[in-house]
Amino acid sequence: MIHFVTVGILVMVVAILTYFGATSVGLMPVQASAQAVPIDWMWNWQVIAISFLFALIVVPIFYSIFVFRRKKGDTSDAEHIEGNTPLEIAWTVIPLIIVVTFAYMGAYSLGESRRITDPEAMIVKVTARQFSWTYEYPDGFVSTELHLPVWKQVILKMEAVDVIHSFWVPEFRVKQDVVPGRVTEYRITPNLVGSYKVRCAELCGSNHAFMEGPVVVSTQADYDQWVAEQIEIASANTPEGRGKKLITENGCVGCHSVTAQPGPSAPSWFNLFGEEVHLADGSTITADEAYITESVLDPAAKEVEGYAPTIMKPFTFTQEQIADIIAYIKSLK
Amino acid sequence: MKKIFSIPLIRGILWQVIGLLIGMGIVAGIRLAMGLPATGPYLVTEHAWVFGGFLGTLTFLAGHGVMGDWFKWWRGEATSDHHEDKPGWEKYFGPSLDHKVIGIQYAVTGLIVMILGGTFALIFRTELALEGMQFLKPAQYNTLMSMHGIVMIVVILLGIGGMMNYLVPLLIGAHDMAFPRLNSFAFWIVVPAAVWLLSSMALGGIETGWTGYPPLSANMKIVGQQMFFLAVFIVGWSSVLGGLNLIVTVVRMRAKGMTAFRMPIFVWASIATSLISLTATQLIGLSFQMVMFQRLFGMGFFDPAKGGNPVLFQHLFWFYSHPAVYVFILPGLGIVSELLPVFVRKPLFGYRWIAMSSLGIALVGFLVWAHHMFTSGMNEYLRVPFMYSTLLVAVPTGVKFFSWTATIWKGKIDNPVPTPMLFTVGAILVFLLGGLTGPPNATVSTDLHLHDTYWIVGHFHDTMFGGFMFPFFAALYYWFPKATGRRMNETLGKIHFWLMTPSFFVMSLGMMYIGLNGMRRRIADYDPALNFQPMHLVITIAGYLIALSVLVFFINLIASLRNGKVEKGNLWNSRSPEWLVESPMPAHNYEHPFEVVGEPYDYGLAGSKYVEFAKHK
Amino acid sequence: MSHTKDKASALQQGILVAVYLAVLTGLEFFVAVSFMSVMVLTVIALVKAALVAYYFMHIYKLNAENEGDHDSYEYKTGTNRLGLWLFLLSDTFVFGGLLVSRFNLLGMERPHLNQTLGLIVTCVLLLSSFFMNRAETSIAHGDTKGFLNGTLITMVLGLGFLIGVVGLEWRLAKLEDVIVNKDVMGGIFYMMTGMHAFHVLTGVIFLFLVWRNGRKGYFTQEQHWGVEAAAVYWHFVDLVWIFFYPALYLIGKVGL
Ligand code: HEA
Ligand code: HEA
Ligand code: HEC
Ligand code: CUA
Ligand SMILES: [Cu+2]
Repeated sequence: MIHFVTVGILVMVVAILTYFGATSVGLMPVQASAQAVPIDWMWNWQVIAISFLFALIVVPIFYSIFVFRRKKGDTSDAEHIEGNTPLEIAWTVIPLIIVVTFAYMGAYSLGESRRITDPEAMIVKVTARQFSWTYEYPDGFVSTELHLPVWKQVILKMEAVDVIHSFWVPEFRVKQDVVPGRVTEYRITPNLVGSYKVRCAELCGSNHAFMEGPVVVSTQADYDQWVAEQIEIASANTPEGRGKKLITENGCVGCHSVTAQPGPSAPSWFNLFGEEVHLADGSTITADEAYITESVLDPAAKEVEGYAPTIMKPFTFTQEQIADIIAYIKSLK
Repeated sequence: MKKIFSIPLIRGILWQVIGLLIGMGIVAGIRLAMGLPATGPYLVTEHAWVFGGFLGTLTFLAGHGVMGDWFKWWRGEATSDHHEDKPGWEKYFGPSLDHKVIGIQYAVTGLIVMILGGTFALIFRTELALEGMQFLKPAQYNTLMSMHGIVMIVVILLGIGGMMNYLVPLLIGAHDMAFPRLNSFAFWIVVPAAVWLLSSMALGGIETGWTGYPPLSANMKIVGQQMFFLAVFIVGWSSVLGGLNLIVTVVRMRAKGMTAFRMPIFVWASIATSLISLTATQLIGLSFQMVMFQRLFGMGFFDPAKGGNPVLFQHLFWFYSHPAVYVFILPGLGIVSELLPVFVRKPLFGYRWIAMSSLGIALVGFLVWAHHMFTSGMNEYLRVPFMYSTLLVAVPTGVKFFSWTATIWKGKIDNPVPTPMLFTVGAILVFLLGGLTGPPNATVSTDLHLHDTYWIVGHFHDTMFGGFMFPFFAALYYWFPKATGRRMNETLGKIHFWLMTPSFFVMSLGMMYIGLNGMRRRIADYDPALNFQPMHLVITIAGYLIALSVLVFFINLIASLRNGKVEKGNLWNSRSPEWLVESPMPAHNYEHPFEVVGEPYDYGLAGSKYVEFAKHK
Repeated sequence: MSHTKDKASALQQGILVAVYLAVLTGLEFFVAVSFMSVMVLTVIALVKAALVAYYFMHIYKLNAENEGDHDSYEYKTGTNRLGLWLFLLSDTFVFGGLLVSRFNLLGMERPHLNQTLGLIVTCVLLLSSFFMNRAETSIAHGDTKGFLNGTLITMVLGLGFLIGVVGLEWRLAKLEDVIVNKDVMGGIFYMMTGMHAFHVLTGVIFLFLVWRNGRKGYFTQEQHWGVEAAAVYWHFVDLVWIFFYPALYLIGKVGL
């Protein structure tokens, strides 16, 4: 009897220590969406259950190993206990009740995180492709950044053009795959102003690791201002402007960088035009109009040193579009 | 030279290469005749590689000789029931029909492949230790990561194949498996498959992870992807045939008096495992076959542009691959249940409940597959029923844990604790942590955050180490004397354990921690803003320590094989029949058949007996 | 094996089952053209499958008591039989997976196929099962000649089925535009018929080996496990077609 009491007390102590130990190290990123609240609530119950069940099994085992282990000189077998049916039934039924409760709580918190609270929710169309995210806003412009006003319900209608990707902002908690051939929905109400990142959570090819994009949650006023800027940029009808739009819509910047810092998997376009490019076959070539045109339409024809075999797929553009893109690349100095 | 080619393994591989070349030649010829280009970026086109691979597998089997008796049967010739193996090591490289030899072939192959899989992990872990890309390209990272995953899974399949083949006939008192030739076939078919699997690294790699989801796997213009599918498809056949053989063996070949509830508990676990591998495996085969055909013939099963459905693949794939995780663990948990009573000197608490819980896990395991797809865009309302069914698995698993705890309670464990027992307790602890991290994934709302993060990576390393690696090592330490007549070194065994267990906890807890905070899986590099570098460094170091401990194990294994302490008797003082005869086990197992006269685990009951040997044949 | 029925009644039973199957197939066709009910078609297919499994494949033999000497031919045959059935169970999952894929991808549409040809090949396969049954019951009654003839006819009918499906239907389907590359409809059609045809082909090879060994006098009234195995396998292939035929030819509307 004394053994049972000691073990019982130890189980409680270890369970509580485990729970507080685990939660104190910071198990989750900040909560930045209304949907994160029911999910974190559920998660907290999971941690409680894990801590308790872990202690419930580990403590008696260790207790037994230390207290009942073979004494010196004893060569006999242990007590002959074959089993105990009421006990077996108890530890079948009680976990059964626990898991059914948990499943119920899980369904409830799922329902909470899927609810559309605002019938006039903002709808943004998301396109995922290897390896970039682009967003089409209700006001008609396209961007590679996701800007959201705080406390406004948003529905992302997501589509993939090539393979499966997955839209995940850890601070929002929720994750949703983006599947070619169908539109999936991501419902979110950001509730904390800040800068986050969307991180593609489904292996989608060589560059999957770098398929991240900025997500900015701002006040309504800041958001409106950003929208106004974007509309202005989009309406400026210069070749560079059109070129920028094209490379945004086609996801080129998912791989190519437009700053001096090259991306991990494709050459930077910064200062590219007119420069010498070292090719994989050892030769060099000047990056002129013809070369860039060929690089876009048939990337495998001339591969840049260090990037062969290329992961870039051929694109089809009209001559005017290519001219716009080149104009844009030229502007990167 | 001639001597070398008389070794069936070498001859088989030679034939395999010849078969590959012939197959390639045929396809190239056909394509030329049809006016299509015959060469491709990988020498010849993908069609040629796949057909060559298929043909090469057949020629391996023909050249190796494992189908020799079947060819005779087809010609109407009778064959002898038993083939005597020649003494010496050569038998391990040829088509032996002895289940003990086959069991060792499985286990040793598994261990060798484990070195490969672990080395892949160490390489990409080194890359991950620091931010930024140091020495791997992203594509190489993906290949190593995918190879690590699939190779380790093959290790598990080989390991459980080894344990089940070696032990089950001994435990039930059979002289061999029901179909010895099929048994040999099921093992040897893995060898050409392993060759194809590794060859994919040279043919562009695999970039899809072990799950091979299309459209990515269908779009990747690399032949390695196909060789991966082909290899897994072939390994699947090994599983199917092995499972079939095992079920028949247990149903038909038990010793006299061995009723269902007097079977050693490991036999129950093997039955549950085999039911899964017999049936569900076909679905991974089918799904991979469909991607292969999509790539080869443009059949757009998973291509939305042609009316296909990428999510269908995931359903077919997980219909196998979830039950498969129970294939990974059930034999291991069987080992735990088998060893505990011996070392605590008490009966197995609730034998029947444990036996039934294995079946329960296996059967419920068929109904839960979509929990890997909560975020996949499948029908939303189906997620909740799958959450219920998944959580239900916790109940039979819990029965095992509670019964083990009760078995250990008041048990008289030797002091110092023998190595197999250390690994058994380690298995329970590690698997407990792995199991308990399952329900959060099974709960849809939390899985939306956890899916495809290092939390999941932590979860499954815990379950697989706890459910397979630890029990496998326990089994190796425990039955090594039975197979060799020598015992493994205890000190080295303890070093192995005490190095591996803490490192493992550090590694998996570290994975879970960063996973929760936003570390995705399958990424070659991580965002510096997340500040994960210190933890990644720790994980990598822990990974190296695990490897070191495994190295200690290998040294122990090899050294003990030659110089281990000679042990011919029942050194663990077990009631099990295989320990009641002299080690190493004679070629035809029990010279005198035994009859079961009592319960298997009645430790502590004076005068009780499990089996009684017949006086004469 | 322990067939207690005498020769004549075995023949009678074989004919009766074949007639039932034929009638049910006709009914199936009628249902499909008149009031297309998936439910009714499923029930009919299940009844057909049950008939084949019980009367042709003798599923009940699995249950036979064969205690006694573990080294006897009878005991070993029991072991082999269990192994074969488990193999078929495993195979069922492949075909089941294909059916699931078909309904997932095509839903209530079906490929444009030649109905007459479909009915003919179905009847050919059904007839082959009847002759296979003849072959097996013949050897079980010691009639080697009947057994050899039955096997031979089965084999020929099996080849006929292959020619019908692979030789004609594949070509027609291509002409009718169910081309592989076109869309997933063609993919499923070729995959399902191809996988089934592959099984028919292995069955024919198996039968050929049995026939050849039978001519050498390898099988006797008491010991003919090889024949039984070939027969059960052959009927299984028929049983699969019992489900594939409605899934490909009858259920749903023609779609392209
Ligand atoms: C050996 C292998 C193994 C085992 C045994 C398990 C066991 C379980 N797994 Fe795991 N799992 C994997 C291997 C395994 N898993 C792998 C490899 C993946 C990733 C695949 C990939 O994508 O690559 C994965 C992924 C995975 C997912 C998908 C996650 C995602 O990608 O989003 C889920 C979701 O439900 C899940 C759940 C579970 C559950 C509920 C169990 C349960 O069976 C656990 C049951 C055990 C316990 C619960 C502990 C003991 C019980 C008690 C002490 C009783 C009381 C308990 C309660 C009342 C809760 N696993
Ligand atoms: C049994 C299964 C098993 C085992 C044992 C391991 C062992 C290890 N695994 Fe894992 N792992 C998987 C199965 C397994 N793994 C699976 C299925 C995946 C998913 C893949 C996917 O996503 O597709 C995965 C993924 C995976 C990842 C995630 C990768 C990613 O998502 O990007 C990581 C990252 O750290 C990792 C690390 C490790 C490490 C460090 C070990 C260490 O324990 C390894 C220790 C090393 C050894 C055991 C070998 C010993 C070697 C020697 C002793 C060398 C001696 C040399 C000679 C004698 C010549 N593994
Ligand atoms: C999947 C990643 C990826 C995407 C998306 C991508 N590229 Fe590339 N690109 C590469 C890689 C890798 C190279 C270098 C190898 C080569 O030359 O093909 C490259 C090379 C180029 C070059 C030659 C650059 C040089 O330094 O010589 C140009 C120009 C270019 N890409 C334009 C584009 C445009 C325009 C788009 C979008 C419409 C685009 N790329 C989209 C990966 C990508
Ligand atoms: Cu997109 Cu990963
Ligand atoms: Cu699972």
